[in-house]
Amino acid sequence: MSLRFSYVKLFGKIALSMLPYLKVENLSCFRSDKALFRDLKFDVLPGQNLEILGSNGSGKTTLLRILLGLLKPDAGSIFWLDDQQNYNNYRTFSCFYQGHQLAVKNLLTVAENIQMTKASKNIDIEAISKCISRVGLIDPDEYASNLSVGQRKRISIARWLLDFHKIYFIDEPFSALDDEATQLIQDLILDLNSKGSSFVITGHRPSGIEATHINI
Amino acid sequence: MKRDLLIAFRRSATYITPLIFFLIVITFFPLALGPEQKLLSSLAPGIIWIAALLASLLAVETIFNEDFRDGTLDSFFISLEPTFILVFVKVFIHWLITGLPLLLASCVAALVLYLPFDSVSAMILSLILGTFFMSLLGALGAALSLGKSAILSAVIVLPFSIPTLLMGTSVIASAINNQDYTGFLMIMGGMLAIGIPAICLLTVEALLLSYD
Repeated sequence: MSLRFSYVKLFGKIALSMLPYLKVENLSCFRSDKALFRDLKFDVLPGQNLEILGSNGSGKTTLLRILLGLLKPDAGSIFWLDDQQNYNNYRTFSCFYQGHQLAVKNLLTVAENIQMTKASKNIDIEAISKCISRVGLIDPDEYASNLSVGQRKRISIARWLLDFHKIYFIDEPFSALDDEATQLIQDLILDLNSKGSSFVITGHRPSGIEATHINI
Repeated sequence: MKRDLLIAFRRSATYITPLIFFLIVITFFPLALGPEQKLLSSLAPGIIWIAALLASLLAVETIFNEDFRDGTLDSFFISLEPTFILVFVKVFIHWLITGLPLLLASCVAALVLYLPFDSVSAMILSLILGTFFMSLLGALGAALSLGKSAILSAVIVLPFSIPTLLMGTSVIASAINNQDYTGFLMIMGGMLAIGIPAICLLTVEALLLSYD
């Protein structure tokens, strides 16, 4: 009896941990009477990825912004899982967002750009150094204004590692990157997936990571 | 807050430009009107306040524009922190780097314009309240004109700064004439107390409009 109860408890925990972080139902968006996307329905499960594919101007960035609450959809619902395993139409956990612009400040150094993303007062310098070396940057005291576009993108990627986020929303993470950087991102995504983080990324074509694809 | 302060100090133009502008405007008046003490002293409240008002608008563009251009503004709205508190922190930093230096420069202005020594404290008190309110209004103007010309934010903000200008000059004028100015200071304080939550919330809505 107690063994069966243990199996039920374990199965229950596994079932709960597979609840989607995010559920989207019948999401639609129109611009100038033209549908960017219509009746989108998908779930973002823990440790699994979603790739939103489309051409330029198809509404990929708009979809990300709607999911994050920066824009309102014209129709449909977005539900977020909370700590009590209930779904609400507002978010109670922090997400990571990286847009096209990367949010890198020219007047700050590499370390400062990464460090000042974290709101916590106890900033672990060692953790920041690990993030910097993991993404292949060398000098933490180099000003961002002296870095190339690819290097600035690595600063943004280093931020992924500073905190645990359930969902990472990344707009075109593989654009303008060489093969080495592309492999780095793919490895990081895999690594973070194993820790329960999910990625919602956009792109023009499949990136090669294991993901559910949505074409808009 | 630490990040914004660091950036502001590394971009010295942000805090030096309004200061130099203020001092230039102040020194132009004696050059244009002549050095007569009585004339300058009588015009001092208006001159100081107009110069402070225009100087504080110079750095308004820096409040949100850079964050909008480089994508940092998105993180404002995505974080779970109340957004109006983040806006208030931005306004406070803007006041620290523009309003506070103006307070120090106003002491120089008091000397140049022959302001009586007894009215300097009234001038500083009115500028503390008034420049903070101007930073609030500037933030709203910057949010409404995000990504557009800086002149647009000034055009939006200037009409709403008239009450601050009137109260501020009345404080200094009353102090010069040895009259009670606490009433005017209380009105300015009340405007600030109501302005902080109201204007911060309006600024949040104005920033969200930029995403449409």
